[in-house]
Amino acid sequence: MLVTVAQAIVNGLLIGGIYALVSIGVTLIFGVVKIVNFAQGEFLMIGMYITFFLATGLGVDPLLSLLISMPVLFVAGVLLQKFMIRRVLGLGDMPQIFLTFALSLLLMNVALLLFSANYRTVQTGYAQQSIQIGPLYFGAARLIAFVLAMLLSVGLEIFLRATDLGKAMRAAAQNRDVAMLMGVNPDRVFGVAVGLSLALAGAAGSLLMPFYPVYPTVGQVFTLMAFVAVVLGTLGNVRGALIAGLMMGMAESLGIQFIGADSGMIVVFVMLLLTLALRPSGLFGGRTI
Amino acid sequence: MEKRQTEAAPIRRTRKEFLAATAAASALAGSGTAAFGAEAEPVNIGGLYPSTGSFAQIGQGCVNAAKLAVEMVNAGGGIKSLGGAKLNLILSDVQSEPTVTRTETERLITGNKLSAIHGCYASALTLIASEVAERQRVPLLTGSSSDQLNRGGRKFTFTPFARASQFAQAQLRMSHLVTNKPKVAVIFENTAFGTATSNGLKEQAPGENVEIVMFEPYSAGFTDASPLVNKVKASGATMLFAVSYLSDLINIVKTMKQMGVNIPLNGGSGGFVIPGFYKNVGKDAEGLLGVAHWNHDMDGNAKRVNAEYQKRFGEFLFEYAGGLVAQTYMIADALERAKSRDPLKVRDALADLDASKGYASMAPGGRVKFDDTGRNVYGHPLGVQWQHGDLASVYPKSDARAALLKS
Repeated sequence: MLVTVAQAIVNGLLIGGIYALVSIGVTLIFGVVKIVNFAQGEFLMIGMYITFFLATGLGVDPLLSLLISMPVLFVAGVLLQKFMIRRVLGLGDMPQIFLTFALSLLLMNVALLLFSANYRTVQTGYAQQSIQIGPLYFGAARLIAFVLAMLLSVGLEIFLRATDLGKAMRAAAQNRDVAMLMGVNPDRVFGVAVGLSLALAGAAGSLLMPFYPVYPTVGQVFTLMAFVAVVLGTLGNVRGALIAGLMMGMAESLGIQFIGADSGMIVVFVMLLLTLALRPSGLFGGRTI
Repeated sequence: MEKRQTEAAPIRRTRKEFLAATAAASALAGSGTAAFGAEAEPVNIGGLYPSTGSFAQIGQGCVNAAKLAVEMVNAGGGIKSLGGAKLNLILSDVQSEPTVTRTETERLITGNKLSAIHGCYASALTLIASEVAERQRVPLLTGSSSDQLNRGGRKFTFTPFARASQFAQAQLRMSHLVTNKPKVAVIFENTAFGTATSNGLKEQAPGENVEIVMFEPYSAGFTDASPLVNKVKASGATMLFAVSYLSDLINIVKTMKQMGVNIPLNGGSGGFVIPGFYKNVGKDAEGLLGVAHWNHDMDGNAKRVNAEYQKRFGEFLFEYAGGLVAQTYMIADALERAKSRDPLKVRDALADLDASKGYASMAPGGRVKFDDTGRNVYGHPLGVQWQHGDLASVYPKSDARAALLKS
């Protein structure tokens, strides 16, 4: 029994790392640019396809392809900010929502056109391996994904606290107008924020690829989880998103274990509703970024 | 069944040669000779398949097979009793959506003079198409397995292959071959398909001496299979039945290997018996069991069609697609005997069908004859197993084409 519970918690934590990575991306864009990116899951999907084609075409290991998927999506993010998001800022919520929502549908359908609805997976040596500690199993690919996800999250945190650009981002998040008066260039800061956010989605995609099949609508599954985590962890709060992502992974896993295998989402959404009812500003209210 | 030539040497013929050979074979088997001179007006038959949407991968394969089947019938001289009339396949994409299926079936029937239809892969879609076909009085042949297709006094719906209830029985019986006193965990997606199939398993388990130790619905399209696999592990099951669509099943199988859960698995049919499953799972699929209403190693005819399909599309002819090639020949056989394009007469000829040779009989057991409910009285499922990257028929004994591998 104890082993089963411990294994359930391990499983939840490991997938929670991926939820956290997607959620941090969403919360970063929201915190800095104040726009909700509904297309975050589709960027994860693009990250997965990049990884897939690098692995099958050129034999690049999915983990090494992080070095390609992240920069590619970073540049995509900067361009997205420069040519699309920038134009709808200050027009109110609706045009912004429509923009990212339309982008999500567009990317999904383009992927369907280019890659068809087929499921594709990458076979790697370590994907099927697992590390056994006592009676507990840690899937190698999942464990690596979790560790790298945590490293990236910590890296982002250090970037935000220790570098000038990071501080400028936090300043812009706290009060855009005052930050601009202090000489912060909003276009640059926003571009980097969107770029980083997409790079994280790309990283999540690359990390997922060894143990999850890619298909054009794969992002939808993760977008849903990411949005719940972002609200739970307070919109715009990076640490909050990280902790909430891990919590959701665990809640889902324990729910499946002890309530029923179709209850994973129920547990997660009950958590969301309770949070909204009791602490509407999220578990880590107040402080952003 | 006939087993000439194919076993010794794999067929490597050109498309033309294949069609010519088919033509010669059907000319020999056929009744009467093709009329020369004026070309007869073609006979329209409809094909309803989901070539986009969530079933797109399978639907596309069905479309390919449907086209191949019509090409084969036409190369064999078409419908001789109608002056050698060619079959004209009119395809319609039902987009994996029930609402679209309804409108597309209506549109297909009212917009064209159809003699018969086949489709739609997913039972949920076929049930709707069947309702429309009954109302519009056009015969529908289908490989879909829902027992509901044989209920409600349907007169125009014909199901030449095994029914869902028979699949459940076969799965339960097969479990005795790989474990002693099977203790089975059943996990199923919480959809119409998953619920119906798993309930069939649950109802028949006591009669087949199988103990069900876990019976668990899950939400289709999960992000992580490990919680579910952990639960299976904790249940102490000695065998797993998964009623799942392709992506979930891939996850489950991979996660089982990772978490050291090494119990035999029966993946049912659907997404499990298509080439895409092996492509994604790789050698971990070896030895996994499933069930199918058709398999490409059944007999000489199945092997011949499979060889041609494989040459054109680079993968083996899977269950549903192979079955619909046989269905096309059943329609041709009915047209031949009806001597008419009238869907009512074709329906009556289908009701009288008794095929035991040729492509029309290409079903497990090699015989097709319908009862009042449209069910093939000789219909039964095959137990299949992934062996060396291919799907081999291993159950029941009379249909086994390879020995069962035990892990």
